[in-house]
Amino acid sequence: MESEVLRVRALLLGFVIRSFNVTEGDVRLDESLIDQGIIDSFGLVELTAFIEKELKVVVRDADMTRESFGSLDKMAKFVVGRQRGER
Amino acid sequence: MIELPGEPGSRCSRCALSAAFPSITFDEHGVCSFCRDKMVVTSDASAVERAKQQVTTLFAQRARPYDAIMCNSGGKDSSYTLQLAVEKYGLRVLSFTMDNGFVSPTARENIERVVDTLGVDHITVRPSSRFYKKVIKATALLPLYQEQTLRRISAGCNACISLVNTMALKLALEKGAPLILAGFTLGQIPANAIIYRNHFKFFQESRKDSLDRLRAAVGSEVDEYYGVSDAVLDRVESYPYNVNLLCLEEITEDEIVARVEKLGWRRPTDVDGCSSNCQLNTFNNYVHERKYGFNPYELELSHLIRKGLMTRDEALAKIADQPLKDLHMLAHKLELSEDERSALGLPSACGSSRASNVEPEA
Repeated sequence: MESEVLRVRALLLGFVIRSFNVTEGDVRLDESLIDQGIIDSFGLVELTAFIEKELKVVVRDADMTRESFGSLDKMAKFVVGRQRGER
Repeated sequence: MIELPGEPGSRCSRCALSAAFPSITFDEHGVCSFCRDKMVVTSDASAVERAKQQVTTLFAQRARPYDAIMCNSGGKDSSYTLQLAVEKYGLRVLSFTMDNGFVSPTARENIERVVDTLGVDHITVRPSSRFYKKVIKATALLPLYQEQTLRRISAGCNACISLVNTMALKLALEKGAPLILAGFTLGQIPANAIIYRNHFKFFQESRKDSLDRLRAAVGSEVDEYYGVSDAVLDRVESYPYNVNLLCLEEITEDEIVARVEKLGWRRPTDVDGCSSNCQLNTFNNYVHERKYGFNPYELELSHLIRKGLMTRDEALAKIADQPLKDLHMLAHKLELSEDERSALGLPSACGSSRASNVEPEA
């Protein structure tokens, strides 16, 4: 995975650890945070707000899919893709 | 970092959080990790500031016939939020109440008085009593929701509020209202959720597992109540925003009560200290405390303490104000079987005189 995606993923992981009282070892990066029981629907709202505020990426209605938000890996790729104007 | 000495009922020396609260730790003075700002709390000032700016933008565009659907429980917070919406923000509001069958009679009267005083339209929807009781029983007896969710709300209240939210969304889509208002305070919801787009399809996925469990317990009618048909969703061009206006106000509970009393609101005397509208709250709190060892209002009340909007003593008095003698009546109304009563530590239907001795385990 390229470095920018890894950097963004680390930022997202840090937010999840701080906000939802889990350790790095608790979080599987390629699985849905919801399926892992780490966040609920309010957690999704919080993650979306973090992406918009801290990573300067506007999350549109159409972006809110399992394809983009289905794991931290997918979220990081979505954010970097949007920052580069690819999505 | 040390754990607070573990006797039942131990609490932070500054706020109302108890030692049983998930992931909490205490320092040598008995101050919890939330009060020491070691854990993320919901009092994020920048999120509140951002929400205020969003409100300015969102409320600039008006809709007909209604700008907003207001989820009105008849409690003091939703009554005051309705007042804010109408008088401070000038919104055209359709007030909506879901009558779960356990609304205090005084709260019903409060709803009528407040909407009449403010001059807003109002509708009440009452779901099938048989269905609703099955849902509440399932929340009490089965593990339906995630630990994250149950830190700030009981399972019974969560199931009820999810139903309210779904009904409000259907109403907003039907009426073309771009806003859904509710009277949540910080502590009940995260700061980043003061305003959020109600993207039903997206959130539905996050609720899939809990809905599957609820459906398995209650039946397929869960989809009728907690779902929105594809035919409706396919027509959606823009989902409404959920807005919690009360989170933008720096106001104490006494000040809220003083303001809504001018609208004709009266405090019910047949509910517990943490509710101003719903009699079932006592049952939901009892089940939660017995199962998890902490009161579901601790997070919200502790937030108010840290903000200086409530004293610790006031918060503890609210938590202690639980009319446990009502549990027998509530168990009867919920039609709990003897096995279900036993599983929840409630007295037998034949031994109602013992009901006053019911205490949460933790």
